[in-house]
Amino acid sequence: MSAITLGDLSLKNIKLSPPLAALREAYFRAAPEVCPERPALVTKYSLEAGLFQRDRITSLDKARLYRKVLENRQPVVWHTRARQRTRDGMEEFSFQDTSPFAGSTTARFKGVPIYPEFLGLGLWPELWTISKRKANPYYLAEADAKTLNFDVFPHWMQHNITELARSRGSDQDRQRMRLLQMLLFFIASKPNCISHTIPDFSRAVREGLRRVIEDAQARHAQAGDPAAKEFYQAVVEVLEGIITYARRLAEAAASISARETDPVRKTALEEIARIYRRVPEQPAESFREGLTTIWLCWVAIHLENPDAGLSLGRLDQILYDLYRRDIDAGRLTVEQAVELLGYLWLKIGDHVPAVPNAGEQLFGGTGSNQAITVGGVDEEGRDAVNDLTYVMLRATELMMLRDPNLNARYHPEVHSDAYLRRLCEANLNTGATPALHNDRAVIQALTASGHTLAQARDYGVVGCVEPGSNGRMYSHSGALLVNLPAALELALFNGRHRRFGMDRLISIETGDPSSFATFAQFREAFRQQAVWLLDQAIATNDWLGRIHQQSYPTPVLSALFEGPMEKGRDLIDGGALLNASGIAIIGMADVADSLTAIETLVYQEGRINFAGLRDALRNDFKGHEPLLTRLRDPQRTPRFGNDHPQADASATWLLRTLDEAVQGRRNYRGGNYRVGYWTMTNHAGFGRLMGATPNGRKAGENFSSGITPNSGVTPFLTSALRSVAELPPECVTNGMAFNLKFTPEDGERGRVLDNFVAAVKGYFDATTMQPAGGMEIQFNVTSHRDFLEAVQDPSRYDQLLVRVSGYTAYFKDLNPQMQKEIIERTEYRLSTGEAVSYRAVPLAKGAAHG
Amino acid sequence: MASAITKSTVGLVSRVLPNRAQDWLVRSFSQPLVSQLTGKLTDQFLEVLLGGMSLAFTFSRDYRRNIEGFSATYVYTTRDGSVACSAVFDRGKMRMRREALPSWQTRVVFRDAGALRSFMLSDEPDSLESILADNVEVDGNLSNVYRMGFLARDLSRRLGVG
Repeated sequence: MSAITLGDLSLKNIKLSPPLAALREAYFRAAPEVCPERPALVTKYSLEAGLFQRDRITSLDKARLYRKVLENRQPVVWHTRARQRTRDGMEEFSFQDTSPFAGSTTARFKGVPIYPEFLGLGLWPELWTISKRKANPYYLAEADAKTLNFDVFPHWMQHNITELARSRGSDQDRQRMRLLQMLLFFIASKPNCISHTIPDFSRAVREGLRRVIEDAQARHAQAGDPAAKEFYQAVVEVLEGIITYARRLAEAAASISARETDPVRKTALEEIARIYRRVPEQPAESFREGLTTIWLCWVAIHLENPDAGLSLGRLDQILYDLYRRDIDAGRLTVEQAVELLGYLWLKIGDHVPAVPNAGEQLFGGTGSNQAITVGGVDEEGRDAVNDLTYVMLRATELMMLRDPNLNARYHPEVHSDAYLRRLCEANLNTGATPALHNDRAVIQALTASGHTLAQARDYGVVGCVEPGSNGRMYSHSGALLVNLPAALELALFNGRHRRFGMDRLISIETGDPSSFATFAQFREAFRQQAVWLLDQAIATNDWLGRIHQQSYPTPVLSALFEGPMEKGRDLIDGGALLNASGIAIIGMADVADSLTAIETLVYQEGRINFAGLRDALRNDFKGHEPLLTRLRDPQRTPRFGNDHPQADASATWLLRTLDEAVQGRRNYRGGNYRVGYWTMTNHAGFGRLMGATPNGRKAGENFSSGITPNSGVTPFLTSALRSVAELPPECVTNGMAFNLKFTPEDGERGRVLDNFVAAVKGYFDATTMQPAGGMEIQFNVTSHRDFLEAVQDPSRYDQLLVRVSGYTAYFKDLNPQMQKEIIERTEYRLSTGEAVSYRAVPLAKGAAHG
Repeated sequence: MASAITKSTVGLVSRVLPNRAQDWLVRSFSQPLVSQLTGKLTDQFLEVLLGGMSLAFTFSRDYRRNIEGFSATYVYTTRDGSVACSAVFDRGKMRMRREALPSWQTRVVFRDAGALRSFMLSDEPDSLESILADNVEVDGNLSNVYRMGFLARDLSRRLGVG
């Protein structure tokens, strides 16, 4: 499908309209506000329905609850007020909302939704201080704090997922929970959410929710299985709830319109009322109606599922027919399409995840990670890039928001150079987005993990960078974050961890490394510790998954997904067409380099023995400076990312080993486990907690991000690209984040862009070792100097967008450790392909010590 | 801190007072706690904190509202058992016991008073460090820890030090 009719692919002549620019300005001024609406309503109706007395909560229970919430929550058409930070606290300001999309995730302009069913209670200690805390404060009105303290949180003390899991688990489960609480081994995200997935909006847009309701009713009439009958009834309940919410917004818009004296605003409100009476109940007949359907379903999905990694999928595919029809009929201009998307992007970013203070210190700055995917090939492998792909790119450039997180697909054998050039240009313009995915490698990875070819070709990106078939893969791609250097620690210290002392056996004894005659023996000990760590993480995930099955079915998401309707089963019970759980590995490059260093220095050269190495690690290399210098010198000790066969082989061995370790493992929904290499901010968080490692990393220093080679290792861009491109994609089925930083160079822009495109093409091209080419790549195009200035004066850089390791974030929101990591990433000059020298930034306060 | 007789007498009198006056009473009888919260930390911190809470629940209707219908037993102890206290919440009242009760919903084992204060009250990075350095270990229902964190901070706010 070649569907490009745009003359100028950059659409550079399209700018933000003044009303949209003003709303965007208000958005950036606004501080996040904790909103008690959702938790208060959910608690009230849970009490009324007696859900706190139930051991098992069904889809239908939840569906009735959400229907009531949708029928009773405040129908906010336009926001009028928000809060901004001042020297003295938070001050109210007013603004004029002009969005064509009514409704909001919370009742606030930029809200912090609370999910007491999950980790919402973590904010309890901070109710009086959260407005004033140093890291990313949220406004919380005193009355709202009281609502949470008296009317919400007490009811959930025995009924949140963490406590249900603890109280219902076996001793062994609680033992693993202890491991989880130690924070050093792995993070399981089910106490916080499942979320990470892409719903199927296509049916809602194409047929309307009424048709889906009728389908559910027909299936209900035919179903023999009582559980299936109940599920279909649940689908009816939630979809009726969404329709009612839309109608209430329509009535509210009509009511405001009746009082409005400004003719432009009056007309805008009347149009909202007209559209909201039609969709999402009926099929969308225009581009704007299609966007409205998606938006309202999105609001309902976030009512049910915490705001963490829920992603919107291939919107340029789902909406293209409506867009094309409107354009061809003269009902829509390209400018208007960009404008509508800009407004929708603002709506998508209308909420901020609730992060307690301790979480901010470790993992601060994250948004909701709502990925949108554009471009790529269709299910038959044909070019699916269309005009709307470019329209979405332009809207993203103009809005420069953290959420949504834009991801672009590119197939080296299918797509034009002009398309790739445009993707690179958008990165130059925004400094951080979109992330680029190589269809050839991703499709290979997905088919290796059980997708059919057509399903794999129709992949979308979830959360940060995780691929999964659009609308049919319940992937929970962020289920587990595993700190791989912890396995190395356990191998080095025979199942012990320095944090907890040598008298406490944490895992299994794999032998004192001093007794290993060969490197193969040490590597086997590491492998066993890594398998042990994965076993603990996987068992924890499955146990928590069963708690979700007992207490947190998701009828809203299930109603908007491919599979549950056909199977008559909620997603949590395996209703999706495809199921999986995702593992993200943290610290891959550090472990690979550590293994190479041990192989080289201990076994090949006999430069040091294990006793000496452990002494150096315990002392954070104090008194072992020559060893530290040697380890950090990539010319003398092979490092991953330097196109060195031994070091790159270490990385490849790691990927294959971890992939093998999860092969054949089935999760609680019958899906497989997939391993990926993206780290969000966890490489800084875990790095802060861990002692020195054998690759010359000192205690508390960041681990390398995603699958990226360590900073300072690789003087030449091409070496880094080649090393990563040659990793086996079939072992990276849960996605990867390869972070590169380019200097924004002066000079002729066309030439800079040529070099950018050449670098990406080189990375995506087939190599002798790896015919698929590199899988994913993402950029920061901001200089060290600008980053350092942004640290000194955050107010001047309050909209500075950065790629963390997967998602995008505002630099000012990141904790100091994470800021340091981004500043110190190797920065390359595109004109020469050489690394730029930089000065080290002092380590953030509070970093760990060995 | 107030003796049992003083506490019950003042508690009875306080019932007829308005909220602000009740908070003033809490402040007046909580100077040892204020000292502990503002820097002069001693090994008595835990006992003084729980004692201050108990007193505030007795004197302040508003503070007492925080534990309406709340029942739970907390045990706080150092790893070597040299310090041990329990807090028993039952039907809107709190009792402190200077021993580790055998039956509890939440047990907090801590290294020393500094670690405990940091864990319960600090917004600074060392509150996280407390867990990471294995200074504080929690068994049982974590929700109770969050609630106790709120109660401690709510009290320090009433005392004008939070």
